[in-house]
Amino acid sequence: MSKIHKRGSKTPEMNMTPMIDVTFQLIIFFMLVNNIVSSENVQLIPPDLSNPKTVLFEDENRIVVNVAPKIDEDFKSRQQGNPLNYPGEATGVVLFGKEYQYDQLDQITAILKDSAERSPKDKDGKPTVSVLLRADAALYYTEVQPVMAAIANAGITTVHLVALMPEDKR
Amino acid sequence: MTQAPDNPFEAMTTEEVPHHKKAKKDMEPAKMGLNFTSMIDVIFQLLIYFVLTSNFAVGEGVITAELPRGGAAAASTEMPDLKLNIVLSHLNVYDCIITIEGSSDRIANFTALKQTLEDLQFDPSHGRHSGAYKPDDPVIIKPDGETRWQHVVNAFNASIAARYKNISFAQARSE
Repeated sequence: MSKIHKRGSKTPEMNMTPMIDVTFQLIIFFMLVNNIVSSENVQLIPPDLSNPKTVLFEDENRIVVNVAPKIDEDFKSRQQGNPLNYPGEATGVVLFGKEYQYDQLDQITAILKDSAERSPKDKDGKPTVSVLLRADAALYYTEVQPVMAAIANAGITTVHLVALMPEDKR
Repeated sequence: MTQAPDNPFEAMTTEEVPHHKKAKKDMEPAKMGLNFTSMIDVIFQLLIYFVLTSNFAVGEGVITAELPRGGAAAASTEMPDLKLNIVLSHLNVYDCIITIEGSSDRIANFTALKQTLEDLQFDPSHGRHSGAYKPDDPVIIKPDGETRWQHVVNAFNASIAARYKNISFAQARSE
Protein backbone atom coordinates (compact mmCIF):
# COMPACT_ATOMS: atom_id res chain seq x y z
CA MET A 1 0.00 0.00 0.00
CA SER A 2 1.34 3.41 -0.88
CA LYS A 3 2.10 6.02 1.74
CA ILE A 4 -0.58 8.36 0.42
CA HIS A 5 -3.27 5.81 0.93
CA LYS A 6 -1.99 5.09 4.40
CA ARG A 7 -2.43 8.75 5.43
CA GLY A 8 -5.81 9.08 3.82
CA SER A 9 -7.00 11.71 1.39
CA LYS A 10 -5.83 15.26 2.11
CA THR A 11 -7.94 18.34 1.19
CA PRO A 12 -6.14 20.48 -1.41
CA GLU A 13 -5.13 23.96 -0.16
CA MET A 14 -4.21 27.15 -1.94
CA ASN A 15 -1.04 28.89 -0.94
CA MET A 16 -2.44 32.21 0.21
CA THR A 17 0.84 33.90 1.10
CA PRO A 18 1.72 35.55 -2.25
CA MET A 19 -1.87 36.72 -2.71
CA ILE A 20 -1.91 38.34 0.70
CA ASP A 21 1.46 39.96 -0.01
CA VAL A 22 0.21 41.50 -3.24
CA THR A 23 -3.09 42.58 -1.70
CA PHE A 24 -1.32 44.32 1.17
CA GLN A 25 0.93 46.14 -1.28
CA LEU A 26 -2.13 47.31 -3.20
CA ILE A 27 -3.88 48.50 -0.06
CA ILE A 28 -0.84 50.44 1.10
CA PHE A 29 -0.46 51.97 -2.38
CA PHE A 30 -4.08 53.09 -2.56
CA MET A 31 -4.08 54.42 1.01
CA LEU A 32 -1.00 56.55 0.40
CA VAL A 33 -1.95 57.73 -3.07
CA ASN A 34 -5.48 58.54 -1.97
CA ASN A 35 -4.20 60.78 0.82
CA ILE A 36 -1.71 62.56 -1.40
CA VAL A 37 -4.17 63.10 -4.23
CA SER A 38 -7.05 64.21 -2.03
CA SER A 39 -4.89 66.79 -0.29
CA GLU A 40 -4.00 68.30 -3.66
CA ASN A 41 -6.99 67.71 -5.83
CA VAL A 42 -10.55 68.70 -5.28
CA GLN A 43 -13.32 67.07 -7.25
CA LEU A 44 -13.78 69.39 -10.22
CA ILE A 45 -13.69 69.34 -14.01
CA PRO A 46 -10.87 71.43 -15.50
CA PRO A 47 -11.43 73.27 -18.81
CA ASP A 48 -11.54 71.08 -21.90
CA LEU A 49 -9.91 73.17 -24.62
CA SER A 50 -10.10 73.12 -28.39
CA ASN A 51 -6.66 72.15 -29.73
CA PRO A 52 -5.06 72.37 -26.27
CA LYS A 53 -1.44 73.39 -25.79
CA THR A 54 -1.30 71.86 -22.35
CA VAL A 55 1.80 70.02 -21.22
CA LEU A 56 2.36 67.58 -18.39
CA PHE A 57 3.79 69.09 -15.28
CA GLU A 58 6.38 67.59 -12.94
CA ASP A 59 5.19 66.76 -9.43
CA GLU A 60 8.11 68.26 -7.60
CA ASN A 61 7.91 71.49 -5.63
CA ARG A 62 4.46 72.53 -6.69
CA ILE A 63 1.47 74.02 -4.93
CA VAL A 64 -2.01 73.35 -6.27
CA VAL A 65 -4.58 76.07 -5.67
CA ASN A 66 -8.04 74.64 -6.28
CA VAL A 67 -11.05 76.81 -6.94
CA ALA A 68 -13.85 74.47 -6.04
CA PRO A 69 -17.33 74.59 -7.52
CA LYS A 70 -20.44 73.87 -5.55
CA ILE A 71 -20.40 70.31 -4.23
CA ASP A 72 -21.91 67.93 -6.71
CA GLU A 73 -23.92 65.03 -5.39
CA ASP A 74 -23.67 63.20 -8.69
CA PHE A 75 -20.22 64.02 -10.06
CA LYS A 76 -20.16 61.06 -12.50
CA SER A 77 -23.26 62.22 -14.37
CA ARG A 78 -21.79 65.71 -14.63
CA GLN A 79 -18.63 64.29 -16.16
CA GLN A 80 -20.71 62.55 -18.81
CA GLY A 81 -22.79 65.62 -19.65
CA ASN A 82 -21.69 69.15 -20.50
CA PRO A 83 -19.62 70.37 -17.52
CA LEU A 84 -20.61 73.98 -18.22
CA ASN A 85 -24.22 73.22 -17.35
CA TYR A 86 -23.53 73.94 -13.70
CA PRO A 87 -23.70 76.88 -11.28
CA GLY A 88 -20.82 79.31 -11.81
CA GLU A 89 -20.31 80.21 -8.18
CA ALA A 90 -17.45 78.69 -6.22
CA THR A 91 -17.63 77.44 -2.65
CA GLY A 92 -14.13 78.58 -1.82
CA VAL A 93 -10.46 78.02 -2.48
CA VAL A 94 -8.75 74.82 -1.36
CA LEU A 95 -5.06 74.94 -0.56
CA PHE A 96 -3.17 72.05 1.10
CA GLY A 97 -6.49 70.33 1.85
CA LYS A 98 -7.98 73.32 3.70
CA GLU A 99 -10.82 75.41 2.34
CA TYR A 100 -10.69 79.20 2.47
CA GLN A 101 -13.53 81.59 1.77
CA TYR A 102 -13.18 84.59 -0.51
CA ASP A 103 -12.80 86.95 2.45
CA GLN A 104 -9.77 84.88 3.55
CA LEU A 105 -7.78 85.26 0.34
CA ASP A 106 -5.14 87.27 2.22
CA GLN A 107 -4.36 84.05 4.11
CA ILE A 108 -3.71 82.30 0.80
CA THR A 109 -1.42 85.15 -0.21
CA ALA A 110 0.47 84.80 3.10
CA ILE A 111 0.84 81.01 2.74
CA LEU A 112 2.07 81.31 -0.86
CA LYS A 113 4.45 84.11 0.05
CA ASP A 114 5.88 82.00 2.88
CA SER A 115 6.22 78.95 0.59
CA ALA A 116 7.94 81.06 -2.08
CA GLU A 117 10.39 82.48 0.45
CA ARG A 118 11.26 79.05 1.84
CA SER A 119 11.61 77.32 -1.52
CA PRO A 120 15.02 77.03 -3.21
CA LYS A 121 15.87 79.89 -5.57
CA ASP A 122 17.07 79.65 -9.14
CA LYS A 123 20.13 81.51 -10.46
CA ASP A 124 18.08 84.69 -10.95
CA GLY A 125 16.93 84.58 -7.33
CA LYS A 126 13.38 83.65 -8.26
CA PRO A 127 11.64 80.97 -6.15
CA THR A 128 11.47 77.59 -7.85
CA VAL A 129 8.08 76.74 -6.39
CA SER A 130 5.35 76.40 -9.03
CA VAL A 131 1.76 77.38 -8.44
CA LEU A 132 -0.91 75.47 -10.33
CA LEU A 133 -4.31 77.15 -10.58
CA ARG A 134 -6.89 74.40 -10.84
CA ALA A 135 -10.35 75.83 -11.37
CA ASP A 136 -13.56 74.26 -12.57
CA ALA A 137 -14.51 74.91 -16.21
CA ALA A 138 -17.98 76.15 -15.26
CA LEU A 139 -16.86 78.86 -12.82
CA TYR A 140 -17.51 82.52 -13.56
CA TYR A 141 -14.42 84.57 -14.29
CA THR A 142 -15.25 86.73 -11.25
CA GLU A 143 -14.70 83.65 -9.06
CA VAL A 144 -11.25 82.88 -10.45
CA GLN A 145 -9.82 86.35 -11.02
CA PRO A 146 -9.55 87.28 -7.28
CA VAL A 147 -7.60 84.05 -6.75
CA MET A 148 -5.17 85.01 -9.52
CA ALA A 149 -4.82 88.39 -7.86
CA ALA A 150 -4.09 86.69 -4.51
CA ILE A 151 -1.37 84.58 -6.16
CA ALA A 152 0.14 87.62 -7.86
CA ASN A 153 0.06 89.54 -4.55
CA ALA A 154 2.30 86.83 -3.07
CA GLY A 155 4.97 87.86 -5.55
CA ILE A 156 4.43 84.81 -7.75
CA THR A 157 4.27 86.03 -11.32
CA THR A 158 4.09 82.69 -13.09
CA VAL A 159 0.99 80.59 -12.65
CA HIS A 160 0.21 77.32 -14.39
CA LEU A 161 -3.39 77.03 -15.49
CA VAL A 162 -4.66 73.46 -15.27
CA ALA A 163 -6.68 72.16 -18.21
CA LEU A 164 -7.28 68.75 -19.75
CA MET A 165 -4.60 67.29 -21.96
CA PRO A 166 -5.23 66.67 -25.67
CA GLU A 167 -7.50 63.66 -26.10
CA ASP A 168 -4.79 61.40 -27.53
CA LYS A 169 -2.51 62.05 -24.53
CA ARG A 170 -5.02 61.51 -21.72
CA MET B 1 11.46 -21.12 31.87
CA THR B 2 12.48 -18.20 29.86
CA GLN B 3 12.95 -14.82 31.48
CA ALA B 4 10.61 -12.05 30.46
CA PRO B 5 12.40 -9.08 28.85
CA ASP B 6 12.57 -5.73 30.72
CA ASN B 7 10.80 -3.93 27.91
CA PRO B 8 7.62 -5.75 27.00
CA PHE B 9 7.85 -4.59 23.33
CA GLU B 10 11.51 -5.43 22.94
CA ALA B 11 10.93 -8.86 21.54
CA MET B 12 8.06 -7.85 19.34
CA THR B 13 8.47 -7.29 15.65
CA THR B 14 6.78 -4.40 13.92
CA GLU B 15 3.85 -6.60 13.10
CA GLU B 16 3.44 -7.50 16.72
CA VAL B 17 3.08 -3.88 18.02
CA PRO B 18 -0.48 -3.30 19.16
CA HIS B 19 -2.66 -1.32 16.77
CA HIS B 20 -3.28 1.69 19.03
CA LYS B 21 0.45 2.23 19.71
CA LYS B 22 1.30 2.01 16.01
CA ALA B 23 -1.25 4.70 15.03
CA LYS B 24 0.16 7.15 17.59
CA LYS B 25 3.68 6.59 16.35
CA ASP B 26 2.76 7.26 12.67
CA MET B 27 0.72 10.38 13.38
CA GLU B 28 2.52 13.62 12.47
CA PRO B 29 2.61 16.43 15.01
CA ALA B 30 -0.41 18.72 14.68
CA LYS B 31 0.32 21.66 12.35
CA MET B 32 -0.25 25.15 13.70
CA GLY B 33 -1.87 27.44 11.20
CA LEU B 34 -3.63 30.79 11.04
CA ASN B 35 -7.08 30.94 9.63
CA PHE B 36 -6.59 33.43 6.83
CA THR B 37 -10.15 33.54 5.59
CA SER B 38 -11.46 36.35 7.77
CA MET B 39 -8.31 38.41 7.26
CA ILE B 40 -8.58 38.08 3.48
CA ASP B 41 -12.23 39.12 3.70
CA VAL B 42 -11.31 42.32 5.51
CA ILE B 43 -8.37 43.02 3.22
CA PHE B 44 -10.54 42.67 0.14
CA GLN B 45 -13.13 45.01 1.62
CA LEU B 46 -10.41 47.58 2.26
CA LEU B 47 -8.93 47.12 -1.20
CA ILE B 48 -12.29 47.58 -2.91
CA TYR B 49 -12.97 50.68 -0.81
CA PHE B 50 -9.68 52.34 -1.73
CA VAL B 51 -9.89 51.38 -5.39
CA LEU B 52 -13.35 52.91 -5.65
CA THR B 53 -12.66 56.07 -3.68
CA SER B 54 -9.29 56.89 -5.23
CA ASN B 55 -9.43 60.11 -7.17
CA PHE B 56 -6.70 60.58 -9.72
CA ALA B 57 -6.17 63.71 -11.75
CA VAL B 58 -5.99 61.78 -15.00
CA GLY B 59 -5.28 63.64 -18.20
CA GLU B 60 -4.61 67.04 -16.73
CA GLY B 61 -1.88 69.34 -17.95
CA VAL B 62 -0.93 72.97 -17.59
CA ILE B 63 -0.52 76.11 -19.67
CA THR B 64 1.88 78.58 -18.15
CA ALA B 65 0.71 82.16 -17.72
CA GLU B 66 2.53 85.25 -16.53
CA LEU B 67 0.64 87.39 -14.05
CA PRO B 68 1.31 91.08 -13.74
CA ARG B 69 3.04 91.90 -10.46
CA GLY B 70 0.89 93.42 -7.75
CA GLY B 71 -2.45 92.09 -8.97
CA ALA B 72 -4.23 90.67 -11.93
CA ALA B 73 -5.06 94.03 -13.42
CA ALA B 74 -3.85 94.32 -16.95
CA ALA B 75 -3.08 98.01 -16.80
CA SER B 76 0.61 98.78 -16.66
CA THR B 77 2.47 102.02 -17.24
CA GLU B 78 5.21 100.28 -19.18
CA MET B 79 2.99 98.60 -21.72
CA PRO B 80 3.45 99.73 -25.28
CA ASP B 81 0.53 101.27 -27.10
CA LEU B 82 -0.08 98.39 -29.48
CA LYS B 83 -2.27 96.05 -27.46
CA LEU B 84 -4.41 93.26 -28.73
CA ASN B 85 -7.53 92.95 -26.61
CA ILE B 86 -9.69 89.85 -26.80
CA VAL B 87 -13.14 90.62 -25.45
CA LEU B 88 -15.27 87.77 -24.14
CA SER B 89 -18.92 88.38 -23.29
CA HIS B 90 -21.12 85.64 -21.94
CA LEU B 91 -24.01 84.61 -24.17
CA ASN B 92 -25.52 81.66 -22.35
CA VAL B 93 -24.40 78.77 -20.17
CA TYR B 94 -22.45 77.12 -22.97
CA ASP B 95 -21.23 79.95 -25.22
CA CYS B 96 -19.68 83.36 -25.22
CA ILE B 97 -19.24 86.11 -27.78
CA ILE B 98 -15.62 86.54 -28.92
CA THR B 99 -14.48 89.82 -30.45
CA ILE B 100 -11.22 91.68 -30.92
CA GLU B 101 -11.47 95.16 -29.46
CA GLY B 102 -11.75 97.75 -32.22
CA SER B 103 -13.41 95.31 -34.60
CA SER B 104 -17.11 94.65 -34.80
CA ASP B 105 -16.66 91.20 -36.33
CA ARG B 106 -17.77 88.38 -34.12
CA ILE B 107 -15.45 85.39 -34.05
CA ALA B 108 -17.27 82.09 -34.29
CA ASN B 109 -15.17 79.89 -32.01
CA PHE B 110 -11.74 79.52 -30.48
CA THR B 111 -10.27 77.76 -33.50
CA ALA B 112 -11.30 80.79 -35.55
CA LEU B 113 -9.86 83.06 -32.85
CA LYS B 114 -6.50 81.35 -33.23
CA GLN B 115 -6.65 81.89 -36.99
CA THR B 116 -7.59 85.56 -36.53
CA LEU B 117 -4.76 86.09 -34.06
CA GLU B 118 -2.33 84.50 -36.52
CA ASP B 119 -3.61 86.76 -39.32
CA LEU B 120 -3.07 89.80 -37.12
CA GLN B 121 0.51 88.81 -36.37
CA PHE B 122 3.62 90.12 -38.06
CA ASP B 123 6.22 87.40 -37.78
CA PRO B 124 8.31 86.91 -40.95
CA SER B 125 10.11 83.94 -39.40
CA HIS B 126 6.83 82.04 -39.53
CA GLY B 127 5.67 83.50 -42.84
CA ARG B 128 3.25 85.95 -41.30
CA HIS B 129 3.55 89.29 -43.04
CA SER B 130 -0.03 90.55 -43.03
CA GLY B 131 -0.52 91.61 -39.43
CA ALA B 132 0.52 94.54 -37.33
CA TYR B 133 1.12 92.85 -33.99
CA LYS B 134 4.45 91.32 -33.09
CA PRO B 135 4.54 88.10 -31.02
CA ASP B 136 5.89 90.13 -28.08
CA ASP B 137 3.06 92.64 -28.14
CA PRO B 138 0.70 92.26 -25.21
CA VAL B 139 -2.47 90.30 -25.64
CA ILE B 140 -5.03 91.04 -22.98
CA ILE B 141 -8.01 88.81 -22.39
CA LYS B 142 -10.97 90.85 -21.19
CA PRO B 143 -13.83 88.65 -20.04
CA ASP B 144 -16.97 89.89 -18.38
CA GLY B 145 -17.78 88.61 -14.93
CA GLU B 146 -20.09 85.81 -16.01
CA THR B 147 -17.86 84.35 -18.69
CA ARG B 148 -17.06 80.77 -17.78
CA TRP B 149 -13.48 79.87 -16.89
CA GLN B 150 -13.46 77.35 -19.75
CA HIS B 151 -13.83 80.19 -22.31
CA VAL B 152 -11.18 82.33 -20.62
CA VAL B 153 -8.63 79.50 -20.70
CA ASN B 154 -9.68 78.68 -24.26
CA ALA B 155 -8.91 82.26 -25.35
CA PHE B 156 -5.58 82.02 -23.54
CA ASN B 157 -4.85 78.72 -25.27
CA ALA B 158 -5.70 80.19 -28.68
CA SER B 159 -3.26 83.06 -28.02
CA ILE B 160 -0.52 80.60 -27.03
CA ALA B 161 -1.27 78.51 -30.11
CA ALA B 162 -0.93 81.64 -32.28
CA ARG B 163 2.57 82.10 -30.75
CA TYR B 164 1.92 85.23 -28.73
CA LYS B 165 4.19 85.45 -25.72
CA ASN B 166 2.87 88.24 -23.55
CA ILE B 167 -0.67 87.28 -22.59
CA SER B 168 -2.45 88.55 -19.52
CA PHE B 169 -5.89 88.75 -17.98
CA ALA B 170 -7.82 91.92 -17.30
CA GLN B 171 -10.09 92.60 -14.37
CA ALA B 172 -13.59 91.34 -14.96
CA ARG B 173 -15.63 93.83 -16.95
CA SER B 174 -18.89 94.87 -15.33
CA GLU B 175 -21.67 94.89 -17.89
